[in-house]
Amino acid sequence: MTAEPYADAVGLVERYAAAFVAGVPDQPADDGFFGPASVTWRLSADLSAPVAGLRSVLIQALHPLAMAGVDQHSEWRRDPVGRLAATSAYLATLAYGDRASASAAARRVRAIHEHVRGVDTVTGRPYAAGDPALLLWVHAALVDSVLAAVRMFGTPPSAADADRYVAEMAVSAELLGVPREIIPASVAAVEEYVAGVRPELRRTPAAAESMGYMLDPAGMGEEIAELWQDLRDAALAALPGWARDLYGYQEPPPVTPARQTEIRQVLGVFDAVFMGEPGVLEARQRLALRMRS
Amino acid sequence: MAALRLAARGGARYAGNAPRLFARAGEHRQQLRNDLALQTAEDVAATLGTMKGVLMKLGQMASYVDDGLSPAARRTLSRLQDSVPPMSQELAAAVVTEELGRPPEDVFATWDPQPIAAASIGQVHRAITRDGRAVAVKVQYPGIAETIEADLGNVALLRRMLKITAPAQDVDALLAELRERICEELDYRKEARNQQLFADFYDGHPTIHVPRIVPELSTRRVVTSDLADGARFAELAGWPTAERDLAAETIYRFVFRSLYQAHAFNGDPHPGNYLFHGGGRVTFLDFGLVKRFTAEEMRPLAAMVKHLCVDNDPEAFRRAMVQAGFLVPDAPVPTPVVVDHMAVFYDTVRERGPRTMTGEYASAVTRRFFDFRSPLAHYARIPRSYVILQRINLGLFALLGELSATADWRGIAEEIWPFVQGPPCTPMGAAEAGWRARRTVRAHAASLG
Repeated sequence: MTAEPYADAVGLVERYAAAFVAGVPDQPADDGFFGPASVTWRLSADLSAPVAGLRSVLIQALHPLAMAGVDQHSEWRRDPVGRLAATSAYLATLAYGDRASASAAARRVRAIHEHVRGVDTVTGRPYAAGDPALLLWVHAALVDSVLAAVRMFGTPPSAADADRYVAEMAVSAELLGVPREIIPASVAAVEEYVAGVRPELRRTPAAAESMGYMLDPAGMGEEIAELWQDLRDAALAALPGWARDLYGYQEPPPVTPARQTEIRQVLGVFDAVFMGEPGVLEARQRLALRMRS
Repeated sequence: MAALRLAARGGARYAGNAPRLFARAGEHRQQLRNDLALQTAEDVAATLGTMKGVLMKLGQMASYVDDGLSPAARRTLSRLQDSVPPMSQELAAAVVTEELGRPPEDVFATWDPQPIAAASIGQVHRAITRDGRAVAVKVQYPGIAETIEADLGNVALLRRMLKITAPAQDVDALLAELRERICEELDYRKEARNQQLFADFYDGHPTIHVPRIVPELSTRRVVTSDLADGARFAELAGWPTAERDLAAETIYRFVFRSLYQAHAFNGDPHPGNYLFHGGGRVTFLDFGLVKRFTAEEMRPLAAMVKHLCVDNDPEAFRRAMVQAGFLVPDAPVPTPVVVDHMAVFYDTVRERGPRTMTGEYASAVTRRFFDFRSPLAHYARIPRSYVILQRINLGLFALLGELSATADWRGIAEEIWPFVQGPPCTPMGAAEAGWRARRTVRAHAASLG
């Protein structure tokens, strides 16, 4: 595999915003797989979401086979922003779309996964993106990261709501082909599952390289790059120690209450910038009205 | 995104179409989203906490340097304002109850629970007092003051957002001034005092009207004043030229009369803060952002005008600039270059005769203000006390340019300049002279009484 260099992360915020807007329907046929009363909707709108997203990618990339699939098949190097935006569009449709749109989006992802197969050059093991074991890892990393980020920097849910969230989210793994019976349905089950996978995790060269890029994306513009530093610090602070150790990242300074406030303020600025993108405010208002009624 | 720098190195690039955009900035939140009303103090914190309230305030105040904003920053800040729904009727009533001791229905003879307008960090309700006065009651969002004060504490982040690349711009001074002004706005008592000061000063004025405060119904988070009604700025655009010119003359007189005689400047000249009544009569609203100057602060400003526009003495002008702190002493720039650079700011008052304010002029002023490549850039400063005055250049001229207003600005200025005290040059000037004479008589009577 020749390693192409990564393209610049131009338009990251803009494309993320467009993906979100596209995922929030105008006139949904039904409330979809979650709905306005769900914990999933509440946590998806939390200020800490960007930290969750970054932490989640960092953890997902530690699975050599998951990383190999991304590195060898997707447009990841040529269009990293497009790849991230596609994922975020999918997640938005899954969360907010009606059942038909969410199911259709999941079918499209499964069709793409059909073609993503190969052999990981580091471990020599074959992989397939449709492998329920890999899908489950990606799913668990996301769910775990949303909870870690919201606890550290957002408005934390009660323990019962955290369990509810994990249970609600099971359907998203199921839609991509993971058998329901192996999907963790509580916070404790997610933690147990992650602990069980840990022996397989490692920092492959592809993971080191792409996460180096994620933590300091080129071409974002000086201003957002400065804010990104805080986002990165927040994501690193929210990472479990074992994940930091695998990457060889230094332990970040402890998140004191003052530091927590600072990061929340940076996240607020991020949020304001995000809201400045076309359609985002209207999409949020549509969701807020549905959550009210 | 590139964006949150309130004055960017690219400032001049955006200046071309800035005045029009600036004028539109006042139209925000005209449509109150009652369906999304904030129901609790937690809702307020979620909407305006974590820097968003501060950004919103900065956005409003950014008209200081507004034209240096990139389109993306402008969009972000304007969307932020759009994103704030009104309080629910219950939440607004709860604030009134806390502040005035009784529910609004008890305090007032009539209370309209439906807000009529959005204020920057609150909303305005109509009411009728127990003694029959029709009033506007501005109610502040609960918890907003604490939230904004806390967020203003993050100086490092504010500095990053405000980072100004002009070599001589003093970010810390600008930041300190912005923080102080924002903090003042959080306490409505300050605004009430300022508004009453203007109302007293202009009492009986032929065209300038400032609604009076009802002090017993005004507190930290509630301010009650006489209710005013009139045409909005957007409607004024459709009025005949003569009417627009008269309205512009009143605004111009208000700004400079306040500055030179009352040593006070209302730093919020945005279009939403005026109501127009025809015949040049204008009601001035919103005194949340008033800067008061000391005599020492005023003196060099007046001296600069006098030396440049009346005495035509460039060296004295330059000395006054240095004395005011606008120019470092001994800058290696020839005086004619200094004058040439600064002249645009005085362009409308250099000579007598009618002149039309245009959007192009406002843009030229703005471009000059943000011209960091000028030979003067390295030696020019904006002392903290004068930061707010830039809104004359960047706000008032944009506003008058939007109206394409024509007048003998120099003639009007001469009436107002204390070092000239020229005779009335317009019918409005004559009417104002009568008002001033009556004021003097009243002042004497008061001192005798």
